[in-house]
Amino acid sequence: MSDYVYVTYIYSTAQKVWDAITKPEFAHQYWMHTNVSDWKPGSRWEHQHGDGSGKVLIDGTVLGSNPPRRLVMTWTRPDKSKEPSRVTFDIADYTPGLVCLTVTHDQLAHDPAMASSISGGWPKVLSNLKSLLETGKAENIWLIKGKE
Amino acid sequence: MSGSSFVYVTYIRSTQQKVWDALTKPEFQKLYWFGGHQETTWKKGAEWKMFMPQHGLTDSGEILESDPPSRVVIKWRNEFKPELKAEGYSQCVMELVRENDLTKLTITHTIERDNAQFIQAVSGGWPRILSSLQSYLETGRAHGDTRTASEQAHK
Repeated sequence: MSDYVYVTYIYSTAQKVWDAITKPEFAHQYWMHTNVSDWKPGSRWEHQHGDGSGKVLIDGTVLGSNPPRRLVMTWTRPDKSKEPSRVTFDIADYTPGLVCLTVTHDQLAHDPAMASSISGGWPKVLSNLKSLLETGKAENIWLIKGKE
Repeated sequence: MSGSSFVYVTYIRSTQQKVWDALTKPEFQKLYWFGGHQETTWKKGAEWKMFMPQHGLTDSGEILESDPPSRVVIKWRNEFKPELKAEGYSQCVMELVRENDLTKLTITHTIERDNAQFIQAVSGGWPRILSSLQSYLETGRAHGDTRTASEQAHK
């Protein structure tokens, strides 16, 4: 199974993209869920349901953190039924005003169901992130059923 | 693994018809495809050619399937880089689906060759083009010539 990579170019700043990923009130607007951590290497992080219940959908450990350029973390099912996969966010200035965001989700070989799920999810989340940062508007992306 | 492929999915806040028009009409293409455009009738069996301002003819082929505004399949070969042209024809499928207030656009580009340089090249190109398309349709402002900027950055 190959690694999943998604690249998008956004009219924004690296700091805003970093904040959009790491600040719960920001992520809630386009991801519908939130990412909660102090984002220090070794810290725990939680992907929490955005309905206010605080239900943990995914959790893991922050492996590397270099704001606002790079964030690396494990991506673990809360029931620990599978080995964790790994997510890396790379945020680069591309041309003036344009930021290149690369999301790499790898170490998925042991969890094909997760590989399938995230390959449907990342395009929704990252297209919506781009819309929010460029237009101020986002959609409830999890209402999109699509062909899974 | 047999062959190489690149898949990119994006959700654009626009109608399916507007996304289709942006993909197929040269006057729109020039606005977000970094000055490039394509020439074809978009009918099955029609010749297909892509031109970029700095290179002239860059790619050519044929329309294999066409179902506006939902699906088009292009037989696609690079024409200006000998090492890519040598890899022969690829197939590019563009699919558009209405999803609530969004249009889901899926690009699937494949070639019957393992570890193809052509697929490596389009894997860099499609995210730039489709990000620019999304910005253009959602904000009216496409991206500048990021390909040129990238080439300059790697000099």
